[in-house]
Amino acid sequence: MADLPADAPVNRVLTRRMSALMVFGFLALVLVGYAAVRVMQRNEVHTRLVEHTYQVENAVLNVHRLVEQGETARRGYMLVPGRTGALANFQRIERQLPDAIARLERLTRDNPVQRRYHLGLRLQLASLAARRANTITLLGQGDRAGALRAFEDDAEIRTIVTIRNLLDRMGAVERRLMTLRDAELRASERAFYTIIILAGALLATVAVISLLTILSYTRDLSRSDEALRALNAGLEDMVVVRTADLTRANEEIQRFAYIVSHDLRSPLVNVMGFTAELETAASALRGLVARVEAEAPALADEEARLAANEDLPEAIGFIRASTQKMDRLINAILQLSRQGRRALTPEKIDVAALVRQIGDTLSHRLSETDTVLTVEADLPPVVSDRLALDQVLSNLIENAVKYLRPGVPGRITVSGRRERERVVYIVRDNGRGIDPRDHARVFDLFRRSGAQDRPGEGIGLATVRALVFRLGGTIDVASTLGQGAAFTLSLPLVLLRQEPNS
Amino acid sequence: MNAPQSVNIVMIEDDEGHARLIEKNIRRAGIMNPIRHFTDGTSALDYIFHDSTGPQLNGPALVLLDLNLPDMSGTDILARIKTDEGPVKRTPVVVLTTTDDSREIQRCYDLGANVYITKPVNYESFAQAIRQLGLFLSVIQVPDLGDSH
Repeated sequence: MADLPADAPVNRVLTRRMSALMVFGFLALVLVGYAAVRVMQRNEVHTRLVEHTYQVENAVLNVHRLVEQGETARRGYMLVPGRTGALANFQRIERQLPDAIARLERLTRDNPVQRRYHLGLRLQLASLAARRANTITLLGQGDRAGALRAFEDDAEIRTIVTIRNLLDRMGAVERRLMTLRDAELRASERAFYTIIILAGALLATVAVISLLTILSYTRDLSRSDEALRALNAGLEDMVVVRTADLTRANEEIQRFAYIVSHDLRSPLVNVMGFTAELETAASALRGLVARVEAEAPALADEEARLAANEDLPEAIGFIRASTQKMDRLINAILQLSRQGRRALTPEKIDVAALVRQIGDTLSHRLSETDTVLTVEADLPPVVSDRLALDQVLSNLIENAVKYLRPGVPGRITVSGRRERERVVYIVRDNGRGIDPRDHARVFDLFRRSGAQDRPGEGIGLATVRALVFRLGGTIDVASTLGQGAAFTLSLPLVLLRQEPNS
Repeated sequence: MNAPQSVNIVMIEDDEGHARLIEKNIRRAGIMNPIRHFTDGTSALDYIFHDSTGPQLNGPALVLLDLNLPDMSGTDILARIKTDEGPVKRTPVVVLTTTDDSREIQRCYDLGANVYITKPVNYESFAQAIRQLGLFLSVIQVPDLGDSH
């Protein structure tokens, strides 16, 4: 027989390990999700920043363009003072420039470096604007030479150069910022991929470990299943062997009982036969003694007279009574053993009808003792051996009628119920009852309980029990002295057909 | 048994007491034929088949047979008698035994027993049964075994 693995600890360890693995896997997933969200956020921020950078660059270029265009328009006006179109151009650009500068300032407000450049730019632009205004005013007054002189001023040239430089630097600052931010984005993307790879590896490990654990558990399970099946098979074999043993033992007892009772009868025939012969002889002797007393009283011997008239009949009477009793006992054993040998034939039995039939056969005794036999309506039917069940119920009901309380009208009820695969019948009476000390004894052969004022050998209940056992049932008694008795009979719902004992 | 030639009664019974009681009651029924009593099967078979006064060599007989014998079963003796090729197979066999098992009774009739009687334990019944058997014996015809020779 294989040992069963202790399954409870295995289960607990398995549960703990599986939940730990699941927690790990879940954590890995959460980590991946978190990383993905973070990277997305980073991307968004970066995109905004890139856009911002482009806007700044755009604003710088715009300012640059306006400055250069203004310069071009001014120069054009100086070359051909009569061209009012150039002047109009110049004035339009001068009007646009403050907006462009304000936009650039708005965009670069968050960056101290840019702000500084911006400040410088404004100063330079203001100075440039003042000079330009001066030039344009001079030109407007027709002083073209003065205007050209002013234009030739070195400082003016330096101003425009400084403005160009400042604008270039602002653009460079933004580009450098973008490079930095690109690097940051790439780093965060790398971190994201690293996390994904790590989490993937963790998940794979968890999956492999879970798989291995489940496989090993399944293997354990199938092994214990096999062990269980082997145990079951062993158990079945044991039951078969035990049943065979019991059947053999039972057959042995039956055979033994039969042989014993049978062989006991043989000498009994002799004892009884020769007792009868003796009686015949004794009566002849009695006649002789009587004749001697009448005809030759001198020969009459008191001793011979006593022997012939009293001792011999008394002895013969005792031998008779004893042998008759022995005969009844042997007959009882023989009857019991015969019942054990009879083949049972299961059939469906309407127990209520059977009990009523028994009541009919006992009707004379029932009315004699003023007894009422009641059969409850819901008595379940059973598949069993009719003859055996008839004997069992007859015995129980006859007993109930036999042992009534004097002066109390008898009430016998037969009730029953179904209990899953069994049926239970109860024969209840209001008779004299059985002392609880005798409850086990009453089912023994030749044992009786209570006042021995009724005929009987103590066979009925022993027969009942033997029959009930053969029908695969049990019988029990519940009773207190003077309170009636209830015999509970439990039978299988369906008696299986048996091979007849040979 | 109304044949002038005396018909021997062969009684095979291991219990001396039973044998005596049977004999007494047969005599009380008025049957006076000689009774040969055997307590075991071997000597009984020897008498039946080989003795010069036995049925095989000497003519009509009637066998009273008990089934429970110390050396062999009564049914074996019955089978020997009834499967014999000679005249013995016509010998009436009355099985007189304590067994009232229906299978045993069936088997004896199958083997060719002529009558099967269960010995009643009660002596009055026993005595009456034997006496009735005696009356029966007084009227039945036993085949003359010599006819077949």
